[in-house]
Amino acid sequence: MDYYLLTVCIYVVVGIIACWGLNLQFGETGVLNFAAVLFVAVGAYTASLFSLGHPTPASYQQYFWGTSLPWPLPWLAAGVAGGALGLLVGLLVLRRLRGDYQAMVLLVVSTMGTYLVSADPGLLNGSIGLASIPAPFKSELHTGQVGYELFYLGLSVVTALIIFEVLRRINASPLGRVLRAVRENEQAAEAVGHNVAATKLMVMVVGGAVAALAGAIEVQFIGAWAPAGWTYPETFGLFAAVIVGGRGNLGGVAVGAFLVQGLFLEGTVLLPNFGNPDVIGAVQWMSLATLILLFLWFRPQGVIPERQRRFREGQPGPLRGLLPAQAFARVGRGQQNA
Amino acid sequence: MNLVLPSLGFGIITASTLLPAAVGFTLQFSATGVLNIAFGAQMTFAAFIAYVCTQAGLSIWLALAAAAVCGALASALLNRFLLTPFARRGTTFFGMVVVTIALALLVEYAVELIWGPLPVSYPLTAPGLVHVGPMSFTHSQLVVLAIGVVFAIGTHALLRYTRAGKAIRAVADNRDLARSSGISAQRITDLAWLVSGLMGGAAGVMLGISLSSVSYTMGDTFLLEIVAAAVLGGVGQVYGAMLGALVIGVLLQESAIVLGGAYAPISAFAVLILVLLIRPTGILAGAAKAKGVS
Repeated sequence: MDYYLLTVCIYVVVGIIACWGLNLQFGETGVLNFAAVLFVAVGAYTASLFSLGHPTPASYQQYFWGTSLPWPLPWLAAGVAGGALGLLVGLLVLRRLRGDYQAMVLLVVSTMGTYLVSADPGLLNGSIGLASIPAPFKSELHTGQVGYELFYLGLSVVTALIIFEVLRRINASPLGRVLRAVRENEQAAEAVGHNVAATKLMVMVVGGAVAALAGAIEVQFIGAWAPAGWTYPETFGLFAAVIVGGRGNLGGVAVGAFLVQGLFLEGTVLLPNFGNPDVIGAVQWMSLATLILLFLWFRPQGVIPERQRRFREGQPGPLRGLLPAQAFARVGRGQQNA
Repeated sequence: MNLVLPSLGFGIITASTLLPAAVGFTLQFSATGVLNIAFGAQMTFAAFIAYVCTQAGLSIWLALAAAAVCGALASALLNRFLLTPFARRGTTFFGMVVVTIALALLVEYAVELIWGPLPVSYPLTAPGLVHVGPMSFTHSQLVVLAIGVVFAIGTHALLRYTRAGKAIRAVADNRDLARSSGISAQRITDLAWLVSGLMGGAAGVMLGISLSSVSYTMGDTFLLEIVAAAVLGGVGQVYGAMLGALVIGVLLQESAIVLGGAYAPISAFAVLILVLLIRPTGILAGAAKAKGVS
């Protein structure tokens, strides 16, 4: 039972990180990233390739390239890959297309990814997926399974805290105000001189990197990754978490991810087993859908709504003390010019 | 390569199924402004209604008509009792998308709960082949083709020659202006959902016939092809959606022959993205605007 509870905890932390990545795009900036799960998947595959080692012809699984690097590197590589994908997709989708087109094309891009990986078995072992992905420090740490899970949970929680701090600072900074300006009224943000396309591109890159990191954490824990795990309905699970928790509020999104990922997607396994597994899956998704509808009807702002922000004269900015004074001078002048 | 022409026949059949779906999807989107992700799930639901009808002894074509009517009613009711109330509460565009996503999940898994996860199939009569040059069609494929053509002509007639159709176009073009000219936007919204449900329902059954199996994930998978066809033609452009359906349908089948079946959807989607890079508003957006038939 301890073992199972710890596993759910790690899934919840992974879900929280992925939802934070989506929140930066959808919650803060209003980019409807319907390819959210693609970023998680890219992170997972990158971390796998950077930890599995060279593919051998004799191996039971095929992948196009691989190496074996020590722990933080596969996660960092995943973040870089997620950011690169965000840049690529963003350049493709965000610059020229209208909002509704963007959403639909992102949905198509996400599905293309699933088809591509499934179609070519030599690329990432096709629809069977990669397996036996090594867990960091598992051989070095001589702990039991429960001990190792505790260690991994700690590792993911520390990572989550770092990401939280980074995102919190982004939200509280002048940049955060630009993101919300783009969300609330694109034309107005454009009119006062903010580059809307560049802002959206930035959140695709940063949010994509965060989501990819979530994928990396998940894959090195469960040790396997296949296309069936990241079909496009999974994206809606992430959206559900952001909406239920409260878009634009990091704490709220974490609560939403806990409720949706933890209780609904994982917790139903704890329920007494009624009927066949198909029924449980169907009931799970249907209750998730009902939850979304109820929240959008009764509490569209989420469990913990976004904080109303007020400007107070003389209040120290969030980055003060972290950056040299010149940085502030530059930011200030930049805004005046804009 | 000598398979390219025969597979053109399959492409045309796929396009005939895709056509009512893409037209219904885009017509409803342009008239109501709601991006309906549940469209695929509605198709699946209608396909299973037709299955129930065939089990009760109806012929497949009567079942198709029944399913289309059920689809239309279900779509209109969903709009009246779910989507319109949400819109009245001031739910944003993105919020409405999420509502339809939730609806898609509800419908899809309700279908799974009722009819089970295994695919079923319609009882079709013996496949007599008709040869047209290098292409050959079964009788049911020819009927699917005919239904596709009827839907294309019917949509054209509806939008061009009827008051209701003109009103739909007016609302799609400028909702406020249409309302101030005395058009009831609410009634047109209902009508748009009704028509799109009818087309989606028929397309669901046609898909079941051409795939020769009906499963609860069927519409959800097909939704991507519908979206591709609609976006390719220019979202909200009815004639564009027809053209998009033809292009995507033929592309899917031709690339299945040239590149292998697994790559077919990828190439169709890749073409979509390439076209959007050159013409971000779809093929027909500009042309249709100029002619005033958006």
